[in-house]
Amino acid sequence: MEALLAEHERLSKSGTLQKSFDDVQKTIDLLVKARERIAADPALASLELAKLQNPVKSSFDDVHKDLEEVRKHQTKYAKLLDKKFKDKSLPQMDYEALTSQPALINRAIAMHLLREGRFSVASTFLTEATRNQSPDAMTDDLTMSGTEHDLGIDSLKSESLRKQFANMYHILHEMKTERNLVPAIEWAREKAFELDRRGSNLEFELGKLQFVWLFVGNHPSKGRPNLVEGRERALAYVRHQLSRFQPRYSRELQQLGGAIAFCPNLQQSPYRRMFANDDAWDDIATSFTREFCSLLGLSADSPLYIAATAGAIALPHFSKLEVIMKDKRTEWTTEHEIPVEVPLPPSYRFHSIFVCPVSKEQTTDRNPPMMMPCGHVVAKESLEKLSKHSRFKCPYCPSESHPRDAMKIFL
Amino acid sequence: MAELNFTKLNPESHLLLDQPLLRLPVELSRKNFKLTAVHVEHDKKHLLGALKATANDSFSGQKDPSETLGSLDNMINRMKNLKRKMEGFHEEEKTTHRQTRQRLEHLHNLYQIPSLADVKYDEWSRIRLNRLIADYLLRNGYSESARALAKEKGIEDLVDLDVFVQCHRVEESLRRGSMQECLAWCSEHRELTRKTSNTLEFELRLQQFIELRRKGHLMEAQQHARKFISSNVEHKNPEVQRAAGLLANSPETRVEPYRTMYSKSRWDFLANLFLKTHHELFSLPTRPLLHFALSAGLSALKTPSCHSKYASSSSNASSTTTTVCPICSTELNELARNLRHVQHNKSSVEHDPIVLPNGRVYGRDRLLEMSAKFGLEEGRVKDPTTSEVFDISQVRKVFIS
Repeated sequence: MEALLAEHERLSKSGTLQKSFDDVQKTIDLLVKARERIAADPALASLELAKLQNPVKSSFDDVHKDLEEVRKHQTKYAKLLDKKFKDKSLPQMDYEALTSQPALINRAIAMHLLREGRFSVASTFLTEATRNQSPDAMTDDLTMSGTEHDLGIDSLKSESLRKQFANMYHILHEMKTERNLVPAIEWAREKAFELDRRGSNLEFELGKLQFVWLFVGNHPSKGRPNLVEGRERALAYVRHQLSRFQPRYSRELQQLGGAIAFCPNLQQSPYRRMFANDDAWDDIATSFTREFCSLLGLSADSPLYIAATAGAIALPHFSKLEVIMKDKRTEWTTEHEIPVEVPLPPSYRFHSIFVCPVSKEQTTDRNPPMMMPCGHVVAKESLEKLSKHSRFKCPYCPSESHPRDAMKIFL
Repeated sequence: MAELNFTKLNPESHLLLDQPLLRLPVELSRKNFKLTAVHVEHDKKHLLGALKATANDSFSGQKDPSETLGSLDNMINRMKNLKRKMEGFHEEEKTTHRQTRQRLEHLHNLYQIPSLADVKYDEWSRIRLNRLIADYLLRNGYSESARALAKEKGIEDLVDLDVFVQCHRVEESLRRGSMQECLAWCSEHRELTRKTSNTLEFELRLQQFIELRRKGHLMEAQQHARKFISSNVEHKNPEVQRAAGLLANSPETRVEPYRTMYSKSRWDFLANLFLKTHHELFSLPTRPLLHFALSAGLSALKTPSCHSKYASSSSNASSTTTTVCPICSTELNELARNLRHVQHNKSSVEHDPIVLPNGRVYGRDRLLEMSAKFGLEEGRVKDPTTSEVFDISQVRKVFIS
């Protein structure tokens, strides 16, 4: 990369049209001066014109030389670039699955823009994308979108999702820059039932943070921090707002109470971590975003971002595979699987994966993982082959079992 | 150590999606340069000729001084004209150089990032995604959206707005059944396309011929053919023969290949041919870069669980301990359905897996932590996916190799 940067530096310094441009100006100057002299003394016309021939010609030669210089620099840079990207072509994969679904890609982009909070770009895009959408594509889009979350591109236009995300960004903004948890707490209370079913304690965590915030003397109306008043406000807050969490979070509430006793010497107390934890704000913002998106059935980070990044990481592996395939003149042989492993960073792995130790195949709905009474797991097809419907020995331990005692498991 | 392998960033092989970023400006510079050279050559010939003629005329006394001054003025104007044109080319060159610089620096940044797990990689990759989206939008003619996105993200220099806007305008005009813009494009780029035997221009001329024949202007059609088509007989013999045959077949014909030649679908053929010629000329991939990235990414992320009818224990939307997998998320789920997934040769499951009586497998720590959070009494666990509650004695260890 450094070499390219250096070559480009040279190119943009000495490989530009500037010089030839200047030389054209010189030619013009020659002509203009000659014209002035002839105009002043018409008798000199022939002489001046004769004298003009060679300089004009040579000034054009200069322009040519300048251009040749530009060409040389351009070629040099282009060659370096070729060398850099030699043998690096994009692999040919099954793109049909994507090109046949422009409406789905458009929808994914629109949702990405919305969830990133790019509302004006998203609305420009939705206008442009629906303007020249054929009626066919529209109905396709509507029929395929699930019943649970109707998220066809038209429904995106109907603003409901936009409003959701606008609300999310409003809450996040209040939380992060204004240190105002009230909108988040209100949202969590509204969604208390759904959150509780998910096992989320977001509402309580928000309340706890609000308590801490009040306790160290902050003020809902943004006055100067006052520790004494703050303590009272915080206590009142616990009494009125947090007491309903009593049975489930009794331990945490006791801790909050214990902290009060240490005031104003919190820094030396065992509770100091609870009070001097700036990360708490980031953490709560992250878990808020996650809960918010999950309730919409969406992942917390943009899937388009994760997929495109994973794609960039995976592409070199596919390229390599393509080269090998070409060398060996083999074709794709598997229907559902691309015969290459792609090592993705841990944060790009979501589902557990079970590869049957007997057949070396990944399990699927049709061929699910089965656990034998001894606790070892093989794929269903392997189990059938091993057992032939009668008692058999586990391939991993000495225990014997009947295939009907094996249990289907869900990873 | 194994984890390190997964997060290793090899910038050299990582730049597959970024080549057009540098290649296109090279082609633009090349075009700019060639056009400059052509103009210079053309005006040089003219000027030297004119200068010589004026000198001769003046010498032989055929022209009086005012006429001499007049032709000098013409020459000066012509040169000024050339200068103006070169000024334009020079400005364009400056833009291209500036963009290349920005792009090189952007790519250079990748070389400074130690690993895929680094926050900086995340930022870099987000810029790339915006670039890919802009590329996709432009190729589909959503230029306002692309412009807005590039502006909001401050990546105008990393996006080739003008090239694609022009390209899309020509493409659209062809699909509408108009050739003027494409012919103009051909003549502007004739110097550059000559070596890739110019099929596009031939097909356009052929279309003009077909249109004349459709309207029944037989005489004009023949003239047109003589001028533009029959000269290609050497390397386009079958096509030229077919054109000749078309004269004898009316637009209502059912005879092939004439029926196809009259058909409306030829406009789509021309539009696609134009795109192919255009992209080849500018070293652009034939399909949106987003397709490459998504196709590879979806395949790499997809697992059999993503389109399973059973909720996956390790990643689903119904509990707070897991994040929704991007392939399971509504945005991409349908899109990924027909793609193949990559191979896995090793199982990967949560640490210390245990199984509940309903067959669901979880990491022991995650399950216990989650149950405690729910406020369950000690000794009870709750399935985060199905919400069933079990006694801890019913939990069994499962061995997964």
